[in-house]
Amino acid sequence: MASDTSEASSSTADVKLQFAPFSSALEAGFWHQLTQKKLNDYRLDESPKCIKGYYYNGDPVGLPTRLTLEFSAFDVDGPTPARCCPAVGTLYNTNTLDAFKTTDKKALLEKEAKEIWDAIQSGAALKDPSILCRFILLTFADLKKYHFYYWFCFPALCFPEGIKMVKQPSVLEQVFSAKEIAALQEAYDGLCTKQGTTAVPYFLIKYAGEGVQMAPLREWETFFTHAEKVTVGVYDPCTLSQHPGWPLRNLLILLANQWGSKVDTMEVVCFRDRTLQGSRSIQHSVTFQVKLPELPNNSVCPKSVGWEKNPKGAMGPRMVNLSECMDPKRLAESSVDLNLKLMRWRLVPSLDLDKVVSTKCLLLGAGTLGCNVARTLMGWGVRHITFVDNAKISYSNPVRQPLYEFEDCLGGGKSKAIAAVDRLSKIFPGVNAEGYNMSIPMPGHPVNFSQATLSQAQRDVEQLEKLISEHDVVFLLMDTRESRWLPTVIAASKRKLVVNAALGFDTFVVMRHGLKKPPVSQNVSAEADSSTSCSSASSSSSTPAGSAPSVPGSSLFSNIPGHKLGCYFCNDVVAPGDSTRDRTLDQQCTVSRPGLAMIAGALAVELMVSILQHSEGGYAVASSSDDRMNEPPTSLGLVPHQIRGFLSRFDNVLPASLAFDKCTACSPIVLDHYEREGFNFLSKVFNSSHSFLEDLTGLTLLHQETQAAEIWDMSDDESI
Amino acid sequence: MFNKMSCPALDEPGFHACCQLLLQQSEQLGDGWSWLELGGGPGEEGSEVGYLKKTVLRSVAVDSNPVQTQEASGSETEQTSILQPEAQDTGEPASLNADDLNDYIKDEDAVCTAVDINSQVLQYEYHILYSCSYSTPVLYFRAFTMEGRSLTLQEVWSSIHPNYRLCLQNSPLTTITQQEHPLLGQPFFMLHPCKTEEFMRPLLQASHDQPRPVNYVLSWLSVVGPVVGLDIPLKYCTLLHPASSLSSAEPD
Repeated sequence: MASDTSEASSSTADVKLQFAPFSSALEAGFWHQLTQKKLNDYRLDESPKCIKGYYYNGDPVGLPTRLTLEFSAFDVDGPTPARCCPAVGTLYNTNTLDAFKTTDKKALLEKEAKEIWDAIQSGAALKDPSILCRFILLTFADLKKYHFYYWFCFPALCFPEGIKMVKQPSVLEQVFSAKEIAALQEAYDGLCTKQGTTAVPYFLIKYAGEGVQMAPLREWETFFTHAEKVTVGVYDPCTLSQHPGWPLRNLLILLANQWGSKVDTMEVVCFRDRTLQGSRSIQHSVTFQVKLPELPNNSVCPKSVGWEKNPKGAMGPRMVNLSECMDPKRLAESSVDLNLKLMRWRLVPSLDLDKVVSTKCLLLGAGTLGCNVARTLMGWGVRHITFVDNAKISYSNPVRQPLYEFEDCLGGGKSKAIAAVDRLSKIFPGVNAEGYNMSIPMPGHPVNFSQATLSQAQRDVEQLEKLISEHDVVFLLMDTRESRWLPTVIAASKRKLVVNAALGFDTFVVMRHGLKKPPVSQNVSAEADSSTSCSSASSSSSTPAGSAPSVPGSSLFSNIPGHKLGCYFCNDVVAPGDSTRDRTLDQQCTVSRPGLAMIAGALAVELMVSILQHSEGGYAVASSSDDRMNEPPTSLGLVPHQIRGFLSRFDNVLPASLAFDKCTACSPIVLDHYEREGFNFLSKVFNSSHSFLEDLTGLTLLHQETQAAEIWDMSDDESI
Repeated sequence: MFNKMSCPALDEPGFHACCQLLLQQSEQLGDGWSWLELGGGPGEEGSEVGYLKKTVLRSVAVDSNPVQTQEASGSETEQTSILQPEAQDTGEPASLNADDLNDYIKDEDAVCTAVDINSQVLQYEYHILYSCSYSTPVLYFRAFTMEGRSLTLQEVWSSIHPNYRLCLQNSPLTTITQQEHPLLGQPFFMLHPCKTEEFMRPLLQASHDQPRPVNYVLSWLSVVGPVVGLDIPLKYCTLLHPASSLSSAEPD
C-alpha cells in the first residue's frame, strides 16, 4: 500500500510533518446538477458560485482522503450527512474550454488563501473554523459532448520551513489506556451534543487524570489557563497511520498566528472514528507531537499550495466523459438496445440481435404499409432505414399513416419520403434514415414520351439499382402491383432478400420472395433448369400455388427450400400492366380495413426477423401451416413463405409456393434479359403492353392452353 | 413474515416489516442502510413506496490484468480487472498551462500518496426494492468512479468474483441485467429475482420446522449481496436471535 512507502521515510524523529492531500470525489448527481444549473440558472454567467462538499473520518484503511461533492453541493445551507464535516468552496464554471485553460490558477489560489488568512487574522476562523477547510473547483461543462473538465484546489497556507515532529506519531491505543480512550470518545460525543452537530472539525483537549475535557477552538484563552500541555483535536479524514489529513494544515497556521509566541511544542490528536461490523472505535486515531513554528511575518499572507494532481500524478486537470449516462440520445439508444436484450436474457437466449439491428432496410413505399413497417423496424432496433416514395402527404393520410401529422399536409403536402425520415429522427435520434423522393418506373406505363422522360426513367432505374445494392432487405410496400415489378427483378438479380406486403379490403399477403442461388452456381443450374423445365418441373411449377388441389399438397408444397420459392408475380398468370384493367384481389380496391396495414406491416417485419434468425437466412426451407406443431426451425419459430390473412375470419394461413418458370418477374428468362440488356430491356417492358412480358415468358401460350385466368386466388376450403 | 403454508412468498407488508427490522439493526451496527421513500404528496403518507439504500466504497487495483481487488475491509482479495483501458484514458487536455504552476505548487509538506495510479476507488450504490411480480426483494446496484462516471455492464461483470461470475454466466436467468430502476427511472444493474424463491424455500422451510426467527430480506441479502461485493456482517444474525424483536414485525 501507499502508506508503507511513506512510512519508511519517516523513521527518525525530528522529521517534517507531511499531510495527505484531499482527493476529489464527485458523484454523478453533482454533474447532473451542474448541468441543470448551467442550463437554467448560470447560462453564460461565469461569476464564482458557492458550493459545499463534505469529508468523513470513518473510512476503512486503504481509502484515499476524500472531499465529496454530490448533487446537494449547490444547496449550501442544506444538511451535511451525519458524522461528516462540511467544506465550503467556490465554483468557477467557465463558458469555454479556452477560458478553463487560461484561467489564472495561481491567482485563484492566492485569492482563496488570502480569504482564509484574513479570516484567521480577524478571528472569524476562530469562531467558525470550517473556514479553514475551503476549496476551489474550476470547471468547464461541454454539454454538447457531456465532457466535464475540472480541477480542484484545496488551499493550504505553508510554513516556510515546514513543521517538525518532536516524536514519532503514535496510534492512540499504544499510548492511552482503554479507559482513557473511552473518556476521549465520551468527551467528543459530549462536545457534539453541546454544539448540536454530529461532527466537530476542530477542538481543544485537556486531560485531567483519566478524564478528558473538550472545548471549541474559540474558548482557547479560558480553556488553557496555565502553561499546561496544549492539545488540539482535529476531525481527520486521513486513514494513514503516519500522516494527518489536509484539514490540520490551516489549523496549525491559525494556531501559530494566534498563539505562536506562547506555544512551543504541542500535541495534535487526529481524531478518527469508524464503525466496523457494528463496533465503533477511535483507538486508531493518531497523535502527533509537533513543534509549532513561528510565522516569520505575522501580517503577510503565507505562501499557499493546493491544486490537485490528476490521475497520472501530474499537475493538471481531469476530464470525465458522461455521455453514456447523460446524453439523452445515448440514453435513448442504450434503452432501446436494453429493451431488446431483455428479450434475449429472459425469453430467447439464442436470439441474434446484432443480425437484426445491423440489417439495412430499403422501404419502397412510405404510405400506410411503409409507416407501419418503419415503426416496427425501429422497435427491433434497426438503425438503417431508407424510404423511397414519390407521393406527397394528403389530408387523408395522417390518420392511417402514423409517421405523418396534419401539419405535414399543409401547403400542398410534404414529400412522404422526406417527412418520414424527419419523423423517424424525432422518434429516435439514433436512427440512420434517408429518404428518396422518386418514382419507380412500371411496366405498361410508358417512359418514352421524350428524351427527357426516358433519361429520367434511366436515372430512376440506376438510383433504384444502387439503393437495392446498398441494402440487405427490400420491402415492397407500394399501392400498385406493377410498381413492384422492377424492384422484384433487380432484387432477384442481386440476390437480395425481398419482403412483400400487399393489402386487399380485408385480406392481405405478406411474403418473402424466393432467394435465387448465388450467380456462380446459378450459371450451371440455370442451364440444367432450362433443359429440364419442360419435363418434371413443368407439371408442378407451371401450376400456381392457388390451384394446387389437383396435386397431392403435402409432397409438393412441403419442404420447399428458399431458392425454389416463388415471388409475388409467380402466382399470377398475367403480366403486370395497367392495374385498372388487370384487377387482382389485393389491388382491386385501394381501401382496406384500417387495422389491416398495421397487421400486415408488423408481420412483414416479424417475417424478416424470423428469416434473419434462420441459419440459412433467405434460403431457409419454407414453413407451412402444417409445421405449426413441429419443432420450429428458429428460436423465434416458423419461417413461412407467405402469410395470407383474412380479417373477416381473423385467420391467417401459411401457404408456400414454388417459383414459376414462366414468372414475369423472377423467371430465368426475364432475369437473363435484364442482366444482359439492362435498361434497354426494361424500357421495352415499360413501354409495351403486358403482352410483351407474357410473350417473353411463354404465358401467352399457357393462356391459350388452359384458358385459366384469375386462378391464383385461394378459395377458403383449401388447406395448404 | 412469510406464508406458513410452505409457500415462501413475501408480500409487500412483510417486505416492509423485514426492512424496518433490518434498518433498526443497521442503525445499531452502524452499517449504513437507510430507507428512502419516493415522492407521494403530503396527503399520501400511507403509500410506502420506497427502498433500502446503502453506499459502499471499494478500492480496486488496476495495475495489472487480471489484477487484485482489495476489499476496503482488507479481508478478501479477488482476481479482477475492473476498468477497461479506455475507461482510464480521460483524454484530458495536456496542453493546460500546468508548467508554470509547477514551480510554486511544489509542496514538500504533502504526502505523495494521493497519486496511487495502481488503485481506483469505486463507489457502489445498493438498493433493495420489492418486486410485486416475483413477490421477492430485488437487489439493484450501480457503481461510480470518483469522477462520477458510472461503470458499464462489462466493467461491472469484471468486478464480480470469478467464482460467482462462472455461476452467473452458466445460468442466464439469474444473471446481472441492466434495467431501469422502477422508482428512479435511472439505469441500474440488477440481479434477476427469478431464482430467489428457489434458494429461499429450503431456508424458510427449515426455520419453520424448528421455529427460529428469520428475516427474509436479511437472509436473502446474505445470499445475493456477496455476489456483487456487498457483505453482510454476521452481527445481524446475532442481533436477530433475541427472538422477541421478530414477532413484533410479523404482519399477521
